Amino acid sequence: MRLWKSWIVTQKDLSVIRKNKYVFYSLMALPAILGVVLPVTFVLALNTEYTSLSPDQFTIAATQLINISATYLILISAVLPSIIASYSFVGEKVEKSLEPLLATPTTDGELLLGKSLAAFIPCLGVTYLAAAISASILDVWSYVRIGTLLVPNLFWIIGVAVITPLACIMSVEANVIVSSRVNDIRAAQQLGGLVVLPIIALLILVTVGAQLSTLLSVLVTVVLVVADVTLFYLSKETFQREEILTKWK
Amino acid sequence: MIDTENLTRKFGSLTAVENLSLHVEEGEVFGFLGPNGAGKTTTVRMLCCLISKTSGQARIGNFSVDNEQDCLEIRKIIGLLPENVGLYENLSAYRNLDFYGKLYEVPEQKRQENIERLLRLLGIWERREDMVGTFSKGTKQKIAIARALIHEPQVLFLDEPTANLDPEAAKTVRDFILDLKKEKRTIFLNTHNLDEAERLCDRIGILKGKLVAVDSPKNLERSLYNRKTIVHLDGIGDAVLVAVKGLGMVKSVRVSDNKLILDIDNPERDNPEVVRAIVGAGGNIQYVTELRSTLEDVYLKLIREASGQ
Repeated sequence: MRLWKSWIVTQKDLSVIRKNKYVFYSLMALPAILGVVLPVTFVLALNTEYTSLSPDQFTIAATQLINISATYLILISAVLPSIIASYSFVGEKVEKSLEPLLATPTTDGELLLGKSLAAFIPCLGVTYLAAAISASILDVWSYVRIGTLLVPNLFWIIGVAVITPLACIMSVEANVIVSSRVNDIRAAQQLGGLVVLPIIALLILVTVGAQLSTLLSVLVTVVLVVADVTLFYLSKETFQREEILTKWK
Repeated sequence: MIDTENLTRKFGSLTAVENLSLHVEEGEVFGFLGPNGAGKTTTVRMLCCLISKTSGQARIGNFSVDNEQDCLEIRKIIGLLPENVGLYENLSAYRNLDFYGKLYEVPEQKRQENIERLLRLLGIWERREDMVGTFSKGTKQKIAIARALIHEPQVLFLDEPTANLDPEAAKTVRDFILDLKKEKRTIFLNTHNLDEAERLCDRIGILKGKLVAVDSPKNLERSLYNRKTIVHLDGIGDAVLVAVKGLGMVKSVRVSDNKLILDIDNPERDNPEVVRAIVGAGGNIQYVTELRSTLEDVYLKLIREASGQ
């Protein structure tokens, strides 16, 4: 596997993504809503209600909000690849650019890695940008209220640094598989988007019981690692040039 | 340069290409003619290592399409212009070519030189930074040809290079292929266009699942029925007829109005003697022409036979 070859494919795909306004705005919208607007709304809505709380009570209540916001970041990283990856693979088919691409001296693995990175990098980048803004908002709030920075806590660190990239990888791989079975971009996005369902389940669990968060995050990490490895092999099996040329219609 | 032996590809119960055996010389322009679904694109895809064969053998140069490592080498020495140009519409012409140049491992300096040379040659250099989506169909086709040549491949596969182009764009592309022919590149040309095949190709293969015929365009045209020499006179007297019938090389003579229709095995060699004999017998020759079957006649006959009609 020649990583530099994969990187050429990644750079090209990133250029295409940058020039596609629909993809670019879609990529920015979700993090802006879940990563920025939502924490601001939380803070504004709950600020008055939390005024009567002692510092300890405030810390417990705010921690639950912080954990929920971390789960939203995981959700963002799982949703965004369905926008980019579906363009990345089905888009090539729609533009009929796969045949000349597959005729180059590049292996299936190099192409797969290059295209996966092109979906992974911007998704993770945008998610981390949203995480930084979201953390700043919550920290300003907690500092003003109790003189302490509550972000990052352990769940937030595990959620953003470990679970977010794993969820993003899972989503990219799932989208590779979906792309090989559908004909158009919208169908790829809709089916690829189903990968967020387990993350939504996680969000509900975190919302109802913050004290389970750390244990839950370790469990989710293990599940995601297993899912990533399994999907990697499945996507490698799916991404074969003959299959692509003769069956991607 | 290109060798296949009993190359076969089946898709389920459908046999797209059956027992294809052919040899294409280095520097030859080989045309592949056949109707839609004849297996032309499938053959090119097998030769470009894009899809596997069901049975048989195929080699490009010293490399076999069977072996994955060889396939990587094959992809380095071939250029492919697929039926659909497949350019990235949101990228500029230059960026499209640069991307493929990198994938073909062309060093940066050489890559820049090749892009400039090809785009200048095709008259697109001034618009190199324009998005491909803004170009006409013909210009896109030219860029796709430049893409296939960016790494100076030894073998070029062109799948319907002038399909859907207006006459002017088609002529530009054909002229460019003629220039490539002068560079002694091996060119494998899939086409429906008989006139194009006749003008560009050294040899033509007619495919209908199976290879029906392979020969030079001239020999194919002669294969349907013998060429006839037609002598136009201001009048045909008995002396002229006797003189012509007395020539051993003339196999048959037919008279139609003031024309003599002669069946001669080797017109290039024998026509001067025929002309001398007619003039010697007092005939006044206005002009001499040739009646031969066209490539279209041959193609249609062979395809009908292959289809069992």
